[in-house]
Amino acid sequence: MQIFDGAMGTMLQQAGLKEGDCPELFTIEHADVVQKIHESYLQAGSTIITTNTFGASGLKLEDYGLSDRVKEINTAAVKVAKAAIAAVKPSAKVAGDMGPTGKFIAPLGNVPFKDIYDTYKEQALALVEAGVNYLIIETIIDIQEMRAALLAAKDARQELGKTKDDVKIICQFSFSEDGRTITGTPPEVGAILLEAMGADIVGINCSLGPEQLVPLIAKIASVTNLPISAQPNAGMPVLVGKETIFPLKPDDMAKFVPELMDAGASYLGACCGSTPAHIEAIAKAAQVHEPKVRQEIAPFTAITSRTKVVKLGHTEKPLIIGERINPTGRKKLAAEIKGGSFVMVKRDALQQVEAGAQILDVNMGVAGMSQVPLMEKAVMELSMLVETPLSIDTLDPEALEVGLQAYPGRPLINSVNAEPEQMEKVIPLAKRYGAALLCLPLNSGNLPEKAEDRVAVAKTIVEAAYKEGLRPQDLLLDPLVLTLASGDQSARETLRTLRLYKKEFGFPTVMGLSNISFGLPQRPYLNAQFLTMALEAGLTTPIMNPLNDTVKKAFVSGCTLLGFDPGVAEFINDYGYDEEVKTVKKKGPQGDAFSSDDPLENIKHAVEQGEKEIVVDLVKKALADGTDPMLITKKALSDAMSEVGVKFGAGKVFLPQVMLAAEAMQGAFQTIKEVLPDSGDVQKDTIVLATVKGDIHDLGKNIVSALLENNGYRIVDLGKDVSPEEIVKAAKDNKASVIGIASLMTTTMPMIDETIKAVRQSGLSSKVLVGGAVLSQEYADKAGADSYAKDGISAVNVVKKLLGE
Amino acid sequence: MAIYNGRLSQIDQSEVKRYAGIRKGGEQEFPESYVKEACMEVQLAAVPKGIYQWYDYDAACHTVLSNPPLTLEGTSIQKHLEKSTRVCVLGVTIGEGVEQRSSQLFKEGNYTVGMLVDSAATTAVEQVADQVNALVNKEAHKLGYQTTWRFSPGYGNWPIEVQKDLAAIIHTDEIGLSVTETSMLFPRKSVTAIIGLMPENGAIGTKRGCSSCGKLDCPSRNN
Repeated sequence: MQIFDGAMGTMLQQAGLKEGDCPELFTIEHADVVQKIHESYLQAGSTIITTNTFGASGLKLEDYGLSDRVKEINTAAVKVAKAAIAAVKPSAKVAGDMGPTGKFIAPLGNVPFKDIYDTYKEQALALVEAGVNYLIIETIIDIQEMRAALLAAKDARQELGKTKDDVKIICQFSFSEDGRTITGTPPEVGAILLEAMGADIVGINCSLGPEQLVPLIAKIASVTNLPISAQPNAGMPVLVGKETIFPLKPDDMAKFVPELMDAGASYLGACCGSTPAHIEAIAKAAQVHEPKVRQEIAPFTAITSRTKVVKLGHTEKPLIIGERINPTGRKKLAAEIKGGSFVMVKRDALQQVEAGAQILDVNMGVAGMSQVPLMEKAVMELSMLVETPLSIDTLDPEALEVGLQAYPGRPLINSVNAEPEQMEKVIPLAKRYGAALLCLPLNSGNLPEKAEDRVAVAKTIVEAAYKEGLRPQDLLLDPLVLTLASGDQSARETLRTLRLYKKEFGFPTVMGLSNISFGLPQRPYLNAQFLTMALEAGLTTPIMNPLNDTVKKAFVSGCTLLGFDPGVAEFINDYGYDEEVKTVKKKGPQGDAFSSDDPLENIKHAVEQGEKEIVVDLVKKALADGTDPMLITKKALSDAMSEVGVKFGAGKVFLPQVMLAAEAMQGAFQTIKEVLPDSGDVQKDTIVLATVKGDIHDLGKNIVSALLENNGYRIVDLGKDVSPEEIVKAAKDNKASVIGIASLMTTTMPMIDETIKAVRQSGLSSKVLVGGAVLSQEYADKAGADSYAKDGISAVNVVKKLLGE
Repeated sequence: MAIYNGRLSQIDQSEVKRYAGIRKGGEQEFPESYVKEACMEVQLAAVPKGIYQWYDYDAACHTVLSNPPLTLEGTSIQKHLEKSTRVCVLGVTIGEGVEQRSSQLFKEGNYTVGMLVDSAATTAVEQVADQVNALVNKEAHKLGYQTTWRFSPGYGNWPIEVQKDLAAIIHTDEIGLSVTETSMLFPRKSVTAIIGLMPENGAIGTKRGCSSCGKLDCPSRNN
């Protein structure tokens, strides 16, 4: 059991630190005072004291214009702490403190990862060189900042020739009431990732009181065997006058010591609001409590995003790695990426997640382009968009490293092969960034055909990985999938490899499913059959397309058949319908089967319901049966829209439903035009529409435009922020019967008056219709408009009236 | 000035429906697939960005002690901040792309999704503002302050003409957010707001959300 010290800041204030002064500079100006504070904590029972360097990174000291004094301030702080130890308790240790920089790493913020890494490295070098026993990275709320700080701390330690026997690194997050960091990371994600990256102790400090820390400590203990530290605040603070008061007294805090220890904490201290008296109470309580023995956590394979843990393995339910984000063989995607757009990449990600992918493979191999910037951008975009962990798929070690650095979690590396040069580069990167590593049994361009040969090659990779310090739970195996077109035994060998892998290693397995059918017909079907076989043989994680129904169904069936679907619930949920019912459901949102003998009634009903596909079919059928298109337009379509308008007015249907009906009607018009190009399409009057100058609202005008167009008017939509001159010109050029103008803000209302004035002065005979959230009939009258419409539906009626229809 | 860009890993569909004026109790059920599609369009087109800054506040003369100081007009905001000694001013935007996408969808005849994209974008910008707000609250609570809910120009009788000044003090240009001559935020799917920090447990009298607004016939009004 180790006991840290308590708060430094409040002690400094009591000792004379003024508001706005740099707390870390106090060590240099008043070394004796800081030493006294350390001594009082040592006397109270601390076995580890923390240096006065919470904000002594270059980036933080910049706030005080002291960024050139990083080494001096950190060195002095260690010296003072050591002096206190020498004077009071020679057995005690020094922890060099590194707090947050106060800035966020891009893309969550705007500071490059490297800048944050550099600033921590500079501080860590100074602290380690001055002789600390621990480095403590604390009060961190962003996992990227923690990753940068931990890498910097490890690098500094190594550069100075030290090991974890000399300097242990403690990583402490600060969580909010919801049990996550404010940026969304739960304790389990932090612990899994930090252990993989080589933290020596993980823990929590600040923000919460001791009671709230207990369950969070337990969560950390549920995923790691590393020692755990807990440094709560003295309760939740209140500000009285200018003073921040923490309510918990020393004994109040000490009350929770047994619970924190039983949950798994073996390094205890306190954060904001605590004093030597608090530490004394905590130390005493810890001394007399015999904690429960921590449950040993058996190694398990997991990868994480910023917010989510995903476990893989033979006892876990198989998981899908979505294969779509890969420009190989996808010309359109490749062209988009080449053009600098990642919209399709993002769409692929969201659609695959929706379809059930629990990991997303990211491959940026676009011919003729460096993968390095592409991988960085893809990983940044996707880590902001989805909670699903990523698999970084590249053979280029440089692209791999930028991807790993940019990723706020523990990703999967896809993959490393047995080529010595690849292993030398990729395995250390996996270790450095705490990634899981997929091993592919290939060497020097040689594809081992027999399962036994594949196992042998895999073994060389696994051994190399162990040598570099990777653990069994960091490794996954690919059995190699070769197309059946290349050899009729290829599927068999893959399946045999899976079985041998399971027996020999027991690691999770990953394979690119669709390779099996390359060059063959009926690929999804073949892939699906192979998938269920492979799942049975020991495949835990197929790389596949979850958007393909056939393959997805095989996956769900395979999981169900292998007993991973309790109560067959998922299967029934996904596929528990009979095919016919689903077809009907797909066609109409209501799934009701309205049917009349009158084809016009059927069309009308379908328009009212906004059922676009059904309307098109019904119109085609009616035309084929010889129904007069004019009759369809008048009796079915127009009547339907009128009906919808009335229902909207009565509050029975809502605007989006009106738009749906309009779309259905549009579909009907187009069908009539397609089937009978000369069906007497009478072009009605022209209407010019615009939002007035200075106003950038588009939506209301777009809705009016859509509805008027549906009623057969010719629309000239000038967009938003349009000057009176432009409106007048467009009305003249197009011989507009009506000019519709909108204003949505009180600040742009005067432009309604201006525009009307301009129209009148121009001598145009066009009628002017006005509308928009802030306008009223009264305003319209005063401004001299011909009419006012309160919404899109009434605009149609008003226009009809204006034109005497 | 601190930059904190929110994430949009999901968009609250019930809020999207509320902004679109879809309520319970209609004659027809509205198909969820359109709402989902609109949310995805916004996730693809949005570029969330946020910026915030802390200032001392003089409640007696309603002045944010920024450089230059900013005196707040309007009794609503003055009352809202009457117990605050510090404030945080924030600005967020999700960029221009969402609006362009909405208009494009209208042009393609996809009126429904086009309209819902606008509602989903409004939801998204509020979600980003919520994330910055949560961060601000956390930092304030750490010092023992209570925080007010965030108040934006246009709420109550706080004139929207203040947009320009608010944007200027926190340098919203750093996140690509500007203010038009007519006091509108550009890109339009943006929010500026002020959060008050109160030393003691000060209950504030100002009403929050829809109940603070006088537009009783608004289709998105929360009951």
